[in-house]
Amino acid sequence: MAKRPIKFRSSKHNMDYVLLTVVLFLVGFGLLMIYSTSSYEAAVEHNDSAYYLKKQATSTLLGFVGLVFMTKFPYKLLQKFDVLAIIVSALLIIAVLTPLGVTRNGARRWLNLQFTSFQPAELAKIGVIIYLASIIQRLECVGKNVIRTPKGIAIIFAPPAVIAGLIYIITSNLSSAIIVMGIAIAMLFVAVPDYKWFIIGAVSITVLVFLVVLYVSGADTTDSGFRLARVKAWLEPESYSTDRAFQTLQALYAIGSGGIWGKGLGQSMQKRGFLPEAQNDMIFSIICEELGLFGAMAIIFLFIVLIWSCMIIANKTIDRFGSLLVVGVMAHYAIQVILNIAVVTNTIPNTGITLPFISYGGTSSLFLLMEIGIVLNISKHCK
Amino acid sequence: MAGRSITKKGRRRRRSNVNIQKVKTIKLATMMIVILGLFVGLGVRLYIITRDNQNYYQKKILSQQRYDSTTLPFKRGTITDVNGTILAVSEKVYNVILDCKVMHAGEYNEDPTLTALAECFGLDKGQLLQYAKDNPNSQYYVLKKRITYDEMSPFLERKNEHNTEAGKKGNEKMGYIDGVWFEEEYIRRYPNNTLACDVIGFTGTDNNGTYGLEEYYNDILNGTNGREYGYLNDDITLERTIVPAVDGYSIVSTIDANIQAICEKYIKEFNDEHTDEHREGLGANNIGVIIQNCNTGEILAMASYPNFDLNNPKDLSAYYTAEQIEQMQADDTYYNTLNQLWRNFCISDTFEPGSTAKALTLATGIETGKITGNESYECGGVLQVADRKINCNVTRGHGTLDVSGAIEQSCNVAFMKMGEVIGAKTLVQFQRYFNIGLKTNIDLAGEPITSSLVYTESTMGPAELATSSFGQGYNVTMIEMSTAFCSVINGGYYYEPHMVSKIVNSNGDTIKNIEPRVLKQTISSTTSAQMRQYLYASVAEGTGRSARPAGYAIGGKTGTAETVPRDKTNYVVSFIGFAPIDEPQIVIYCVIDKPNVKDQAHATFATGIVKNILTEVLPYLHISRTEEMTIAEQEEINNILGNIVQENNSETQGEGEEGEDTPEDEEDDNEEEGNGEPFYVVDPETGELVDPVTGEKAEMNYSVGDEDNIQTPPSGN
Repeated sequence: MAKRPIKFRSSKHNMDYVLLTVVLFLVGFGLLMIYSTSSYEAAVEHNDSAYYLKKQATSTLLGFVGLVFMTKFPYKLLQKFDVLAIIVSALLIIAVLTPLGVTRNGARRWLNLQFTSFQPAELAKIGVIIYLASIIQRLECVGKNVIRTPKGIAIIFAPPAVIAGLIYIITSNLSSAIIVMGIAIAMLFVAVPDYKWFIIGAVSITVLVFLVVLYVSGADTTDSGFRLARVKAWLEPESYSTDRAFQTLQALYAIGSGGIWGKGLGQSMQKRGFLPEAQNDMIFSIICEELGLFGAMAIIFLFIVLIWSCMIIANKTIDRFGSLLVVGVMAHYAIQVILNIAVVTNTIPNTGITLPFISYGGTSSLFLLMEIGIVLNISKHCK
Repeated sequence: MAGRSITKKGRRRRRSNVNIQKVKTIKLATMMIVILGLFVGLGVRLYIITRDNQNYYQKKILSQQRYDSTTLPFKRGTITDVNGTILAVSEKVYNVILDCKVMHAGEYNEDPTLTALAECFGLDKGQLLQYAKDNPNSQYYVLKKRITYDEMSPFLERKNEHNTEAGKKGNEKMGYIDGVWFEEEYIRRYPNNTLACDVIGFTGTDNNGTYGLEEYYNDILNGTNGREYGYLNDDITLERTIVPAVDGYSIVSTIDANIQAICEKYIKEFNDEHTDEHREGLGANNIGVIIQNCNTGEILAMASYPNFDLNNPKDLSAYYTAEQIEQMQADDTYYNTLNQLWRNFCISDTFEPGSTAKALTLATGIETGKITGNESYECGGVLQVADRKINCNVTRGHGTLDVSGAIEQSCNVAFMKMGEVIGAKTLVQFQRYFNIGLKTNIDLAGEPITSSLVYTESTMGPAELATSSFGQGYNVTMIEMSTAFCSVINGGYYYEPHMVSKIVNSNGDTIKNIEPRVLKQTISSTTSAQMRQYLYASVAEGTGRSARPAGYAIGGKTGTAETVPRDKTNYVVSFIGFAPIDEPQIVIYCVIDKPNVKDQAHATFATGIVKNILTEVLPYLHISRTEEMTIAEQEEINNILGNIVQENNSETQGEGEEGEDTPEDEEDDNEEEGNGEPFYVVDPETGELVDPVTGEKAEMNYSVGDEDNIQTPPSGN
């Protein structure tokens, strides 16, 4: 481990234990829900009802090692790896095209590391956060308004855009691409005093989405691509109940049937074959079914606490790089949670987004916990 | 920044820092508000989904669960003969069902699934593809019906192999074999086809027996279907429950398949010999043989002809041309014809017994003391009874006969005189004692009530009394006559005839033993002993001579009954006998209804069949020879035995040609077939049997075990 700068040792602040507690609770709850949702399918397909639980527990353990490491690791050193992080991320995404790449459920998104597999898009998210925090801080040092010049915008946005493009083109993973761009926009939003361009952008995207919806709802989808058909299935789930909207509709059934208090932990009927791979993207709908509206709201509340804590830390942290890192992480969580719940409730079309800390997924939980480690580390140094 | 003096630049930096801090705080707050707003929005959406759709979605979820109860079929019980040979058995078969919806769940599943189906079951892949394309959501499409497990298993193996391979990394595009399942069903098989067809009866897929044991024991053979069903418990959770099927009980028949086969062989032989002889058609309208254990009432064999294939009971092609069958279907006689074929002649058809009934008349006379055995009768060939003249079977008359002579010569005149002495009241009374005119209650479906076919005391006038005493004017079934005759010769015990000795459950535990049941004593054992002597004389000295198998002493009575109209053309000829003479074990009854010959009135048609059957059956039952044999008889036996040996030889040679049997195996085979007896071969020059080792002439006291495959002996009857 690198030698610690002396001034950090003088810090009398403790790390944010509220945040740590919330995360520990979410991770524990996630494991519980993974067991609940996957045990039936695991027993049927793998003859071991704890098959998914064991795999997730292993990567969670690895994630906590990463978390502890990141709380000790002087985060300022990360700034030295900013460009490297972007390059490594890009290279690993490209590596998916090599024979190392693994295809699952029809999508080529994983790298085979023999003992485990690895999703480079998850690394890219943390890579982009580090790069942006670093580059914004550096540009601000160069001059007050440098980041608001077109050149500054280009330096800030070009690498995340390239990464998002690579993720979308190579791994056809639209959701990860959206998250990467979302993180970039959120970080820039916090860094600059402007509102105008963000409001214009938001309005124009809303109008664009509205136009697309209008077009799709009138269009004939028989020969169009699968994204268009997905949008169509989103708009009229009941008429695609047997194929495209099957999963969405089953998730809605699960949410609706839970009622206020739910059917009780482990009592979901939908996880028994109707909601395939319920432990992945759709785990929130099973939470709703088993624990009801109350349980779902409680989880949402915990995520709000998590994001709130991040915001407080980001606000208190004087160090620009550290503060921006926390903003990036916070944006990452917020975007992912909101998009996941929006998909599950059929508020937006179905894209494969996991629920942080709760959904099944090794790479994702490893990096999410490492990000928490960074935030906790930074929280020790805020005033 | 820890310098003593703050430079202008440093102050500006700090100011800008403060500025950046302020911007950051405001921006973070804005972002947090947006995020909170989105969360609130999602929370509202969750609430609305739950509020508006809770009941509807709950119903949706419940409706897509599988509650439909599946029937688990039971296995109908097996019917075996007394040795455990299977006569009827239910076998599990499988229907191949394609579930397109399940198959299409995986993108690449269609091709491997349909290819495997096409290759394993010989189906046309093009048609399957077309069907899958037209009906992508069909869940129940029967591809093939009733295949055996062996036909099914290659598909299962292939599915297993393919899916293991497809499950490996990188093989995602191979697709899985999925969406094919097998529905279980039982079908009834009769391994011996036509053997004992009338006795066994048959059962369709509905598990409803038709005729014979299948019908009579229908409820015992049938079990209870199981069910697999789902229900919602108190917590509205779906529970699935399986109530297993209860298999039906099996029955063990008293029939011995070997004896049955021997009987059927000689019936068939007679039929083939006389087919189209006098008129177009079968060798006789009907031929029936019953062999009964006279000391228990158990039926050892019950055979009749024409017969049918139990596995294909509606096949009439053996007896009718395609045009005739079409004609029958057109004029509604088709099912009549089938019912005629399916009915069991031995228990369902009635006929006038003829002279075989003289045994009952004489037994009645002796038992009542009205005939002592010392009487003598004068036969002039005809007797005047009331207003009618009734002829004797020999028109020129028998002259003077004692009682034994009367039954030996089967003299009608003598028996009419006996009947007169006995009287109508006693004769009718004893007919009832012998169960004539009553049901025997044999455990087979289709026994008729014959009470209207016999005389009562009031309807029996002198003429009826006269004809009844020699077996004409009233009708009986074969089983009535056979069972009554058993009691005449077994000491007077009337046993209820039965076909089933044991009922066992599917685990092989005995549920019920059906013991022999004595219903009544018809005559005393002394009368019975006397009757055995008379009936022995009837075979040894009289009309039944031709029924005696070489080396055995048997008793019996022939019968030749003219059918209505009495124009001396159509007859029912019969023979009823028992063996051995001292301690009778079996009763055999053979009836030929209208033999297809020019001159039908000869009981020798029946005695010939009986003799052939007994020649094989008695040794099989380990009843040993007691009588001296003439040279001619010895040669006849030699011929039969020679046939057996030749048969064995050709069989073992045939097996040898397949190159599988070593010489040692052959020896084993021979020992089995010869039942431990030395194995003889025919000396080609003398036609006699010689011991292959010593070269000596074979001794004659052979006993044959399984004689299933004895070839037809040369017709010497």
